[in-house]
Amino acid sequence: MKTTLPVLTGIGSVTPYGLLAGLISAEPLEPSVITAWSTPGLRRAFLVETFRPASIVPGLKTRRLDRLSAWALVASSLALRDAGIDLSHMDRSRIAVFFATGFGCVELTAAFYQSAATNGWAGTDPITFPETLSNAPASHVALFHDLRGPNVTLSSKSFAAESALLQGASLLRLGQADLAIVLAGDTLTQAVYEWYEAAHLLAPACFSNGPTFSADGFIPSEGVVAMVLEPAGRQTARSYAALGAGRWAAGGDVQAGVRQLLGDVRPDFILCAGNGAPCASSPVSSSACTIAGETEVIPAQAVATGMGEAGALLHLLLALSKRPGQGPALLLGTSAHGGFAALRLELF
Amino acid sequence: MLAGQCCFKPATELYPGFAGTVAAVGALPSLAEGHRYSRTDRMAMAAARDAVADFDGPASDLRESGIVMASTVGGLSEIDAEISRGPAAWYRQGGLSRAASYPVSRVAASVAEHLGIEGPTCAVSVACASGAMAIALAANLLLDEAAPMVLAGGSDALCPFTLSGFNSLQALDPEPCRPFDQNRKGLNIGEGAAVLVLETLARATRRGARILAVLRGWAMTNDATHPTAPRKDGLGLACCIQRALEMAGCGIEDVGYVNAHGTGTPLNDIAETHAYESAFHGRSRPIPVSSTKSYFGHCLGAAGALEAAITITAMQTGALFPTLRLTDPIESSGIDWLRGELRRQPLPVAMSVSAGFGGSNAALVFGRSRA
Repeated sequence: MKTTLPVLTGIGSVTPYGLLAGLISAEPLEPSVITAWSTPGLRRAFLVETFRPASIVPGLKTRRLDRLSAWALVASSLALRDAGIDLSHMDRSRIAVFFATGFGCVELTAAFYQSAATNGWAGTDPITFPETLSNAPASHVALFHDLRGPNVTLSSKSFAAESALLQGASLLRLGQADLAIVLAGDTLTQAVYEWYEAAHLLAPACFSNGPTFSADGFIPSEGVVAMVLEPAGRQTARSYAALGAGRWAAGGDVQAGVRQLLGDVRPDFILCAGNGAPCASSPVSSSACTIAGETEVIPAQAVATGMGEAGALLHLLLALSKRPGQGPALLLGTSAHGGFAALRLELF
Repeated sequence: MLAGQCCFKPATELYPGFAGTVAAVGALPSLAEGHRYSRTDRMAMAAARDAVADFDGPASDLRESGIVMASTVGGLSEIDAEISRGPAAWYRQGGLSRAASYPVSRVAASVAEHLGIEGPTCAVSVACASGAMAIALAANLLLDEAAPMVLAGGSDALCPFTLSGFNSLQALDPEPCRPFDQNRKGLNIGEGAAVLVLETLARATRRGARILAVLRGWAMTNDATHPTAPRKDGLGLACCIQRALEMAGCGIEDVGYVNAHGTGTPLNDIAETHAYESAFHGRSRPIPVSSTKSYFGHCLGAAGALEAAITITAMQTGALFPTLRLTDPIESSGIDWLRGELRRQPLPVAMSVSAGFGGSNAALVFGRSRA
């Protein structure tokens, strides 16, 4: 395994699959019934089971945090554990955190609105307000692990996780950091779920026990996936993949863009990401098949597609967990809104 | 600003029941599809349209441009507290399309839609350091050759959510703010947007572009000290300034002006003062520093981009904007607090510095173009 590219050396995840360091089982999941709020009938989604963060990461205090912050802390700790990194020997000011999210800390944002509705705008909670900011999860990761390098939270319509992965890898290539923790995630709240429902975006399986793949909508999901990226040659442990060139774009010709990115390289695998598009009719599959020719296509899974624009890291984790083999691969995301994200990988 | 005027008004003029002082943008240009866009989106679109108004390069370059837009508020301005009484009912009563503008990614996507841009597009949300970080990340995109040019900036609208939040933290000054003054009482919230067009110097020179400034260095760090308060000794910010100067190939003597974060809060301004004392320690003459938030308030995610634009304006005009209402500066060594009359001097190199909740810091070093 020789490469000059940034490599992926650690994975941590807090997802409907559970709390895990490294690869996961990747077996198809059934959605859970929503009980966290009152629903007008059966409502289902892919949900993270309630857990006590301190039982996973001793000393972790998360009582006043948004679940997204708590999950980011747990996922980042699991990823660092998986990578086998001893941070005490590193220059903390050169460790970066990139966090991708579609909605940010919606749980405490809802709580802040609730306090305004109850007490008026003059009676809101000063502890809650800072925890509503989108960068709170990444800030808590920096604070807990004492990471003093670049700390960036970003969002990109349909491609937040891919853009975070690309920008994290870019920071390593440009020599602006020695290590990057890239995280992506979102939580599912009543306000988010009911928005999807009001916008008629949900799959029939959200309302009844039925097949999870559907052309008529998606099943919402939640969770956080964290990945540790290191420059080539620095890592001593095993690596999952090397990250090559990548692109993401808000529009344009997907196939032309991907062909330009690939050049003469023919990937052995295309790992599809769905980004909230209806699962079965996702334009990803058709684009991937057209580009691929004889290349093996690892299809998107509903649980990751339901996480929307932060779901690409879960797509990548699920694809890696299937252990398709070694060789050149392409992580490809497209969106019903247009545009694409593509990242060349070398699977180990 | 050249006339020393600020644009504050009582918050009650906009939001009855709110105390304090704010700075608001007036009416925005109407858009055919205005109902789809939040106020934050619309300010971003207006600023971006102005930023490319003089662009005379190939249309394909504009279409393939990248966009990095900063925002902390996003579409929060379109959502009211009634949503918490029952989201589904609020959506049925007209909230559905308003809530669609909630994600901060919409700010960048709106600019892309408005200008027909199809390149890499993302929004940055790192509290009050967002705007400066958007410019730093845009510069990285150019180094990566991800786009021929990048529109980078920030936009944030006034809204009850943020006013209430800062009020709950007792961070608001009821009067126009006094950054770096010993009697400072807090910040004033403002709103606005700024967008800069970035391209590589080689490309801009080749196409004969009017080069406003060269972004010579940039850096981002985190204090990793406290969820909201800055590190008291300012060392996280000082490290950020030093890294940016290093990248720019500049020494501490080269910098002619620092446009500071300077919110006017007790904690920020003292930490920032320590940062300048540390970063510019050993300099032969005091470093000129001012906070232009004393003119238009703290525009949150847009602040770093607005202040970068003002830093560039200072370099172009040689006008170093003083901090307004700064009568009794924080005791410090090695800092030349700009106050009183507008000072004019040639400015080959200047910095813009930002910081934010969560301990984030960003520094940008601008130089004049030799072209």
